[in-house]
Amino acid sequence: MFEIGKKGAPEKGAEASGWTETRPESSASNQKAGPREKAVIGPSIHIDGDLRGEEDLLIEGEVSGTVQLRSNSLTIGAQGKVRADVYANSIYVEGLMEGDLYGTERVHIRKSAQVRGNVTSPRVSLEDGAKFKGSIEMDPQAVQAATASRSSIGNARPAVAAKPAVPGKPDTTPALKTGV
Amino acid sequence: MVADLRPLGKASAEGPEALNAPLFNSLIKRLEGGGRWIVLDLGAARSDTIRTFGRFRCRLDIVDLAEAVGALRDVTDPRLLRQLVEALLPRRGMESTDVVLCWDLINYLSAPALTAVMEGVAMRCKSGALAHGLVYYSTRTMPQQPGSFVPLDDQRLINKAAAGPERPAPRYSPEDLARCMPRYTVERGRLLRNGMQEFLFRL
Repeated sequence: MFEIGKKGAPEKGAEASGWTETRPESSASNQKAGPREKAVIGPSIHIDGDLRGEEDLLIEGEVSGTVQLRSNSLTIGAQGKVRADVYANSIYVEGLMEGDLYGTERVHIRKSAQVRGNVTSPRVSLEDGAKFKGSIEMDPQAVQAATASRSSIGNARPAVAAKPAVPGKPDTTPALKTGV
Repeated sequence: MVADLRPLGKASAEGPEALNAPLFNSLIKRLEGGGRWIVLDLGAARSDTIRTFGRFRCRLDIVDLAEAVGALRDVTDPRLLRQLVEALLPRRGMESTDVVLCWDLINYLSAPALTAVMEGVAMRCKSGALAHGLVYYSTRTMPQQPGSFVPLDDQRLINKAAAGPERPAPRYSPEDLARCMPRYTVERGRLLRNGMQEFLFRL
């Protein structure tokens, strides 16, 4: 498992291996005022495993497995290739993403993105031109159930309640019960 | 007043033309009735569509079948067609679909492909599910590629695709559609002023 260091301080091992760094935020996707830093996984880096952290992260490399940034934002940059289930406060996708996205605050898919997976978030936006195949859960009750379940479980596997099917993607989760 | 007989969604020099779509409006009104809805969008992901359905308790399943129109056209063996359709559509066994958005895709499928696609869709739908579609009917030609229809508001659709070369339209009649989509009945049909037929099918 990979752990991103807290608040801009990469962990020793990570720093030594050079796969993560912090740098001033420049992406248009996060336009909050004030100086902030985010960790960066560079284009030449490949990570296979469970990636967790407590700071904002920009992925320009390749990541497979799971990505969990429960209180922070994740940006999958234009060069990024992520094949993972992703959990973060805010998720911005500009590159290739295969897997499910859980954003406790929002998920934004930019026009350069190619996404194959399911999105669960109270706020989902997509720019025209983006390639997307999958499901977007927009039912606030289902979103709340899924994200709350994620929060309570912590590092466990994702909530299955609202997980829909993606064409061609094997899935063993049970169906969501609804009131309809 | 002279009717504008340009095919629906053809972009003119002035830009794409908005289209009154009363049956789409009736669909939206049903969603306004409340409850949770599973919507299957056979078209590409569009921000306006997401915004429109985001007002409701919805899950929007996006298939982007337009990308596969060529592949569906090339396959003639019914068994292979079914396999291809199964690979393209969402996995079965999840919550069943309440509403299907076909947009203009029907026009771009051969009769066997239309049968395979709509049969595959039907197997994922609840009994009583509704499917909305737009069929080139009075016009003899249509754009070479499927359009990019999105809701402009609750009553109007607009094709955001750029104007391009054209091809003959299959001009599926209600009888053709009944033959190709035997599990669906036409709940309502409306000939639109620019030559397309708007359909609301029920399973």
